[in-house]
Amino acid sequence: MIGRLIASLRSTWARLRAWRRIRFTSGGIAFTVGTVAVGFAAMNTGNNLLYLLMGSMLGFITVSSWLSEQVIRGLRIERRSPRAVTVGHDLCITYEVTNQNTRLPSLAVEISEDGLPDRAFLSHVPPRGHETARSLNSFVRRGIYPLNIVTLSTGFPFGLFQKERDVELPGEIVVWPRTDRPVRDASPGSGRTARAGAAAKGAAGSRGEYQSLRTYRAGDDSRDIHWKSSARMLEPVVREYERDGAETRWICLDLSAEPGEAAEVAVEVTASLAARAIAQQRPFALVAGDDVLEPGDGGGQLERALDILARADFRPDVPAPAPPIDPQACVLVSVDGRPGFGDTITVGREATLRLEKEDDS
Amino acid sequence: MNLRLFHRRLAVLMGLAGLAAFAGGAGFEPRSATLATIALGVALFWHPEKDLSDRLERVWLPLAALLVVRALFHFFVVRDDIVIPVVDLLLLLLSAEALRALESRNDLRLYALSFALILAATAYRPGILFLIAFVAYVGLATVTLMVGHLRRQSERHRIAEVPLGRGMLATTGALSGVILAVALAIFVTFPRVSQGWAGRGDTQVTSIAGFSDQISIGEHGSTILGNPQIVLRVEFPDTQPGNVGGLHWRGRSYDRFDGVRWIRSENVPPSAAPTSWYRERWSGEIIEQRIFGAALDERVLFALHPALVIDSDNGIQPLFDNAGDYIYWGSGTPAYTAFSPSGIPPAEDLRRPARGYRPSDDHFLQLPRQLDPRIAELSDSLTAGIDNRYDQAVTIRNWLQTFGYTRQLPATARQATLEHFLFERRAGHCEYFSTAMVVMLRSLGIEARNVNGFLGGQWSDFGNYLVVTQNEAHSWVEAWFPGYGWVTFDPTPAGDGTTEVFSSWFWPGRILFDGIQHRWNKWVLDYSVDDQVGIFAGLLGERTVDQGAASAPLSDERGPVPLGLLALLTVAALGVYWARQGGQRFDPSTQMYLQLRSVTQRSGIPVDPGVTPLLLVERIKNTKAAAARHAERVVDLYLRARYGREPLGDSDLREMKNALNATKKTLRSKP
Repeated sequence: MIGRLIASLRSTWARLRAWRRIRFTSGGIAFTVGTVAVGFAAMNTGNNLLYLLMGSMLGFITVSSWLSEQVIRGLRIERRSPRAVTVGHDLCITYEVTNQNTRLPSLAVEISEDGLPDRAFLSHVPPRGHETARSLNSFVRRGIYPLNIVTLSTGFPFGLFQKERDVELPGEIVVWPRTDRPVRDASPGSGRTARAGAAAKGAAGSRGEYQSLRTYRAGDDSRDIHWKSSARMLEPVVREYERDGAETRWICLDLSAEPGEAAEVAVEVTASLAARAIAQQRPFALVAGDDVLEPGDGGGQLERALDILARADFRPDVPAPAPPIDPQACVLVSVDGRPGFGDTITVGREATLRLEKEDDS
Repeated sequence: MNLRLFHRRLAVLMGLAGLAAFAGGAGFEPRSATLATIALGVALFWHPEKDLSDRLERVWLPLAALLVVRALFHFFVVRDDIVIPVVDLLLLLLSAEALRALESRNDLRLYALSFALILAATAYRPGILFLIAFVAYVGLATVTLMVGHLRRQSERHRIAEVPLGRGMLATTGALSGVILAVALAIFVTFPRVSQGWAGRGDTQVTSIAGFSDQISIGEHGSTILGNPQIVLRVEFPDTQPGNVGGLHWRGRSYDRFDGVRWIRSENVPPSAAPTSWYRERWSGEIIEQRIFGAALDERVLFALHPALVIDSDNGIQPLFDNAGDYIYWGSGTPAYTAFSPSGIPPAEDLRRPARGYRPSDDHFLQLPRQLDPRIAELSDSLTAGIDNRYDQAVTIRNWLQTFGYTRQLPATARQATLEHFLFERRAGHCEYFSTAMVVMLRSLGIEARNVNGFLGGQWSDFGNYLVVTQNEAHSWVEAWFPGYGWVTFDPTPAGDGTTEVFSSWFWPGRILFDGIQHRWNKWVLDYSVDDQVGIFAGLLGERTVDQGAASAPLSDERGPVPLGLLALLTVAALGVYWARQGGQRFDPSTQMYLQLRSVTQRSGIPVDPGVTPLLLVERIKNTKAAAARHAERVVDLYLRARYGREPLGDSDLREMKNALNATKKTLRSKP
């Protein structure tokens, strides 16, 4: 009962805080302390001019509060960001801000998000106007970065207080691992000894024998869209072509390891192998834990692989990868190594992400 | 204009406004004020580069140190008023900051110093100039703080241009009106719970002659000059007396006359009549007088005679001495309310044989030792055959009123005597007339005394109050009537009726300005808890509230509509409406996605803030696969709207709505 009450109070408090927050600036602290001091002096001396002074100082606080509210309440914000970014690369997030207020402009508005170090700034959005602001961020770790709350804040008009308003804009940024890590060529056994299942057939790729239609996925070549079928099915569909299964490079990532730098190196090695396959115009497939990416090629295939790798979760108790073909035809990337695969790239527990040093050396 | 330069100029103007506000209260030592004004004026148009600014600082610092030493010397050694040295230091710092390079932190110091000047001005009792400067200060501060904030933000985010049009500046300036309105509302409503332990602050006092413990009639060789200095402002809340020009604003009484000087005896015995005599035996209705006095060097309270009650309207404490004169304790200017009967007792009553208590003969029948015997003979001859005090007094008064009135003082000391006035010159100013009548009454055995105060005043239509200046200083006579107390007789004949200053071209302007000053004094400087009660009573519909002795409502009738209450309710309703309008605004697809999250959460599937749209679908699929298909459609459309760079059409939104409803239905259904 008490726990529920506390939870209820917490959620109420969270809602209230989400509605508006006010932070004091250093000038605001001095101003507020001064107002209290003048009020105290007024009450103790009965000096009416001090009451007048205190009233005007409270007037400044009131106007500051009202105007800052006007500045941020009428703003409608849209976030435009690339779906994914590679570790170390700049991610430019664009905020499109519309001022719905018909009379007052919005001035000196900062836009920030939890987990993103940079802030976008809008100096002026005219009434009923539209402006764009950008923030540049970069990430040092791959992964999924959920975006949930965009905070609009302003110290306008006097810089005494920073008023913040949260706007819920759910979304996420997928941070892909690097694909430029130097890695040796993998040389597993032949992929022709198919074990069973769908993967035994030729890899779905581009520009081979026509195989089937499937729903459009992000990154697919727009030239493969089958427009008639898309119109009939009310969603974009693309043609898939069959390619020679022997060309397919099966890459397996062993997730049984402690999370850490070595694991990250393993992910980057896997990503680099996938990127190299694409660079060599060769289809590839990926197995990482329970995720199996069927053979394919092209930029879309690489993005799908990087998406899987961005989400890869290392744990010591994860079983070995189980590719749908003979493991001897696969390349295994692992922290500690594992027998039974055609080729194994072991990064070792001492592996570090300081790639630049390696490059320099 | 460059934003930094513009901001600096505004900050300097704030400094000038602070300077003017302080001058409105305390005045300035002219040299430092002039230097500071020149420095601020220069700072409006010229700003040193960083190097020169640093070099100038080497001059400012030793000067400031010297002024600090001077202030300490005044405080600890001379034990003199420390305010002037401190203000000089403030002015030096203000000038130094204004003449620095254009850096933000200097401007913040300028804010603080100009505010310190405003704060210091409140320690005095400033006039209208303070109000004008204060309003200007608030207006400038509004714009300056806004421009300063934009300047700091643009520098922080490296924004080259900040659109700062005139319209925007004007709008921001207009906000100072809102600030002043808030200040006014707080000023009016903030409860005056304390009268204060620190008094009402320092006040510059006006020197006034005629109210010290000794006054002389022996001055000669010149003319009494007019002095338009205002000493009293009197309001009549209930009824305005018919002839305001004939009102005697009684101040101090004098009991002993040595032939040249009137003296207040230190040991005068109790000689005031009981209040009940005045209350019960005097005629006419009670006149309420709200009196706002100037700060005089003599702490005398003036009121119509006889004052039954005097209540303080500010921090002063009225005191009642043995002679029945009112003085006060406390600093600052007196504001008080007096109640007096409008008439004297009927003549028939005063003509009755005088029986009853009489004040001390030693004091009120005292005559100079070398009084010319002709004066007593004159009194006897004038009143021969008259057997009552009243007619004797009236006869002497009427005889004296046949003399001439002149402001020209006697030419020599020999001519400046009472005898010369009565038997040779037969003309003079009010003190000769009142002295002559007191001496003549005393020679007849009638207790009498000389009284100083003011006669009449100028009625101000701009504010409906009486303006009394030092020009109206006057002397008259009070004679004792047993059972009735002291009755006023004024033997001075009417003069030419006007003083030059009242007929001059600037007098109407002066009255207008004084009306503003009076309102300022009344509604700001002397605003009190009684005024607050009156205002709130008015807001709640009570028509009148007695400000008088009993402080009880004369009428508790309520107006037909308590307009104030309605206004408060309207404001509250508008506030609620405004707050409700402040909710977040989302586009329809986001709203529906948020509903999906909420519904999912309520169905028992955890949806913490980090759950992304795709993960949400995944969780629904794992828990309730039947709902996942619809939820996936909602999320698909939401992501398309969010990332697809094109808004959803009506059909999409309908589809999304249907999918959301289906998801809700499925999630609510039992497995």
